[in-house]
Amino acid sequence: MADEKQLDDKDLVARLRDPATCREAFGDLIRLYSEPLYRQIRRMVQSHDDANDLLQNSFMKAWQNIQNFRGDAKLSTWLYKIASNEAITHLDKERRRGGVSLDDEEARLADLIASDTNIDGDELAQKLREAVATLPEKQRLVFNMRYYDEMKYEQMSEILGTSVGALKASYHLAVKKIESFFEDLD
Amino acid sequence: MKDILDKVKHNDGMTVPEGYFEDFASRMIASLPQQEWETAPTGVMPKSFWDKVRPYIYLAAMFMGVWCMMKMFDLMRPQSAGLSIDNNPVITAAIDNDYFMSDYLINEGNLDDYQLMDDLYETGFTPVHYSDNDETDFPMAEI
Repeated sequence: MADEKQLDDKDLVARLRDPATCREAFGDLIRLYSEPLYRQIRRMVQSHDDANDLLQNSFMKAWQNIQNFRGDAKLSTWLYKIASNEAITHLDKERRRGGVSLDDEEARLADLIASDTNIDGDELAQKLREAVATLPEKQRLVFNMRYYDEMKYEQMSEILGTSVGALKASYHLAVKKIESFFEDLD
Repeated sequence: MKDILDKVKHNDGMTVPEGYFEDFASRMIASLPQQEWETAPTGVMPKSFWDKVRPYIYLAAMFMGVWCMMKMFDLMRPQSAGLSIDNNPVITAAIDNDYFMSDYLINEGNLDDYQLMDDLYETGFTPVHYSDNDETDFPMAEI
């Protein structure tokens, strides 16, 4: 198991760079990062099936470009960036295909959440998912990374290519909007 | 609001089918296509004798080329020591030999009598005893 091998980025990157150990190391990378990347994607697209497909695409792209990974950024940052791009591209495609507006998109995501069977039954958590789904795409991404993944603003800045200040402001706004959502429910 | 976020405790409420991540990893690893760089030879080929000496041979050839070029430029100079009469023992010996020089100038140098006389006049020689009727031989000793 990946945990037993006490993998860290440095060791993994060194093994990924060696053609002789690259495939095995990439297997460890998949085991290590599939869950956090899956959750990041699914929080954006809501559907398990879509998240599964996008996760596969993300790892495939990472595999195809692994020799170009120079190690300047953290491995996790690089992977989160790929996964975020995949999720956003998918949402754009869905919007274009259905010719839907942003409001319709919100309704579509709400429907997906309501019909989702892969849930743990925590009603408050489901309500929060619905509230987060009302946020604009980028704001939703920021909120998910900060609140659910408890990611540092500096890493978020590297992934999203936005300044730390702008990310803090975006998160603050997201929290305000979610607050309004819950107030409207009462 | 803060209460709600605290109550949710960072739980997104989403689940996955049992054993999903283990299955996903197995499927994903099995589906990774073979990459070109995976099969690229990584071992270092042993060096042949020629591979080892080649740089030195090239270096020596380069120095030889530079030396030849410099020699050629040196020979092309007008005051080149290589073409100087002083450095040529054959020419030096010939010039020092009076018999050879007089023989060379008269017989090999294409000098006729008139040219010879012109040269003598230019250097101040006056043929006092010479006339058309004079049977006396040309005073060669005065030349």
